[in-house]
Amino acid sequence: MKWSTTEGAGVQPKSKHLFLALFCSMLAVFCVAVMAGCGGQAAEPAATEETQTEEPAVTELKTIEDGKLIVQSDLAYAPMEYVPEGKTSEDAEGFEVDLVNAIAEKLGLTVEWQQVQFDTIIPAVKQGGTVDMGASSFTITDERLEEIDFSDSYMDSNQGIVMTKAAAAEIPGFDASQDVAGTERLDAVKSVLDVAGVKVAVQSGTTGEAWSQENLTNAETVPLADAIQCLTGLQSGLYNAVIADYPVMAYYCQESYADLEVVAAIPTGEQYGLVISKDNPALTEAVNKALAELQEDGTLTELENKWFGSAS
Amino acid sequence: MKAKNTERMRVTRLLALVAVFIVALGAVCLAAPTRAEALEVKSTTARPNEDGGDRVIGGLPTRLTWEGTVGEDEELTSISLTMPEGGTFEGSSTRVTVLDGLNRQNVDSVATPAGTALQVVFDEPIPAGSLVRLEVTGVAFPNADGDYTIEGTYENQLGEQALPSSPAISVIQNTPVQGLVNWLDQQPWVEAWNSNPFLNMFFKPQILVSSFASLFPGWLVCLAIVLVAYPFAILLGLCFAFMKMSKFVVVRAIAVTYINILRGTPLFLQIYIAFFGLPMLGIQINVYILGCAVMAINSSAYLAEIFRAGIQSIPVGQYEAAASLGMGHMRTMVSIILPQTIRRVLPTVTSDFITSYKDTSLLSSVGVMELMMYAKNMTAITGNITPYMTAAIFYLIVTLPLIKLITLVEGRIARSESGQGPRPKGGTVSAEDVELDYAQDALAQAAHAEALPDPELSRPVFVPLAREGA
Repeated sequence: MKWSTTEGAGVQPKSKHLFLALFCSMLAVFCVAVMAGCGGQAAEPAATEETQTEEPAVTELKTIEDGKLIVQSDLAYAPMEYVPEGKTSEDAEGFEVDLVNAIAEKLGLTVEWQQVQFDTIIPAVKQGGTVDMGASSFTITDERLEEIDFSDSYMDSNQGIVMTKAAAAEIPGFDASQDVAGTERLDAVKSVLDVAGVKVAVQSGTTGEAWSQENLTNAETVPLADAIQCLTGLQSGLYNAVIADYPVMAYYCQESYADLEVVAAIPTGEQYGLVISKDNPALTEAVNKALAELQEDGTLTELENKWFGSAS
Repeated sequence: MKAKNTERMRVTRLLALVAVFIVALGAVCLAAPTRAEALEVKSTTARPNEDGGDRVIGGLPTRLTWEGTVGEDEELTSISLTMPEGGTFEGSSTRVTVLDGLNRQNVDSVATPAGTALQVVFDEPIPAGSLVRLEVTGVAFPNADGDYTIEGTYENQLGEQALPSSPAISVIQNTPVQGLVNWLDQQPWVEAWNSNPFLNMFFKPQILVSSFASLFPGWLVCLAIVLVAYPFAILLGLCFAFMKMSKFVVVRAIAVTYINILRGTPLFLQIYIAFFGLPMLGIQINVYILGCAVMAINSSAYLAEIFRAGIQSIPVGQYEAAASLGMGHMRTMVSIILPQTIRRVLPTVTSDFITSYKDTSLLSSVGVMELMMYAKNMTAITGNITPYMTAAIFYLIVTLPLIKLITLVEGRIARSESGQGPRPKGGTVSAEDVELDYAQDALAQAAHAEALPDPELSRPVFVPLAREGA
């Protein structure tokens, strides 16, 4: 019993030293942090001075690593962005992945995809220093615009409510032959979901989460890490419904989750944009220019046909 | 009807006809747009602005979402919304969305907020049947409890009309916590503090205050889960510890399999299997109960090993002494071996308790509303890391005293096990020298006991009788 004897001998003095050491180390961390912060502030004006002297007129396109565009995405949102089975984030696929790659090509950059959790992307872009762009089907909202900049929109979207086919059949007044976008369907679904005890799974930090919190006030909104987790949980009966972007939900119900269906579309008419730091307006400008070019030369339409084809 | 009546009376009263005709025309004009075919308000909602909560607080910025569909004979040209007295649209920004079914229409518009009024004028009339959504960010409701409705007017091709009544939005008065946050907002030192990017991101005072209040229920859930789970873990652990020391191969095999599988796989995986696997088998269990069960089962495997090692570390002489007093195996275990074991394993069990308590955070991945979940949600809403720091403080509130306790208990045991129990201070013998020797002996015995589990075969050279502290 080594632990009992050797340490026991010096309990009192050691623990005091320990506390002192802990306190000192915390103080040290704190000081370093403050100095780092101050250093940052002091360095800032100098840096801008430098850029002003070197490039007086044109603000040059800058990324964190020269020649590279570091893009963060949750990569679990097919067909917008996803990692095919058995591959890594380097081989990410999807509409938005193709689009960002095309934009980067126009800007002469190579893309590095990083797979992270959705709700950490905007804070990371805002904080700066590690990531150039967030591309994870972000809806342009005024709240988000306070934190970061958005590129111009490249796609319109809506929200969709997914339930199991078995549960959908039991909704009073629900008729699967009706138009999915019809108000009758949405009202019927809303009436069974806006009830105490109902659990609605959403992806944390999404507009779907905000819609559920705001419109299904009696139900419990459960925020999860990604869309797949929401759908798997719905399938296994943990939740009563999932609310997320309509095109993505429609895709998953068709491709992977045969026992689930989009019971209603919520007409929100939201627009997707790429997330870029407010400190990098040159990149936003360049991306917008590239987007406009891709729109003009038909690449955008081509990609839409490739990924959404008959669906839209 | 009226037309027919007037027709009959035409011959007799010509003047009356003209008067009635004018009245009828006026009635039709007024009735047509305000009845069935008029603009319909689909919903008005406000985004919850309570930090980490789900209520709308008055007097603080929130987002108002107003939705309406344009009537069948109408063309909408402008909308004016009016906030109840005490609320304001001042400083708000408005996002306008016009939809035909699910297809977004490009309509430009100008929104002008002025006090309690907001006017949105569309560049081109919006056609009948379209859905119009106004998302007004940065509005504030009156700072008093109550249900508020948004009134207003709209303009169609026929002129100004009153907006039909819309669903009420319930608002609560500002809470003390939010009041403190607002006070912090105005302090110059807070501003100076927050101007440092690191401090702002990790220790923002406003979020620290609001997250303390909103993370509290999550902390209680964490504590509840581990406090409910742990007694079961201890019982299960003891059970498997004895099973592992059993004489029967089959019983031993069961215990070894159980312990090795649970210790050899990540808790995260076990949680996933329990939370996604069981419901697929048709077994529906409340998530909190299931959470407790998974934590208890996981912990029991580690505890089984701790107990087994603890029991086997008790010197063989103790068994022999008990046997010489005529005690049976059961009696020996209960009154001689286990009490000593408990003393010996207490620090290790406490460590395991700390681990279990921290590991409840993994339950957040499957939607159990515990501390990390609250912190995660708040971080998602605020885009700030501070809620995680608050969560860290909540974990430390429990773990630091426990860590201190372990150190104290270890010291006590060390002294009593080596025959150095509490005694008058100022002794002349150097405690450290003596204890080191004893420690080596104790270690040798423990190793011996591990290698030769059969008490009959292991004859220790030195057998210290544990002395109860006076």
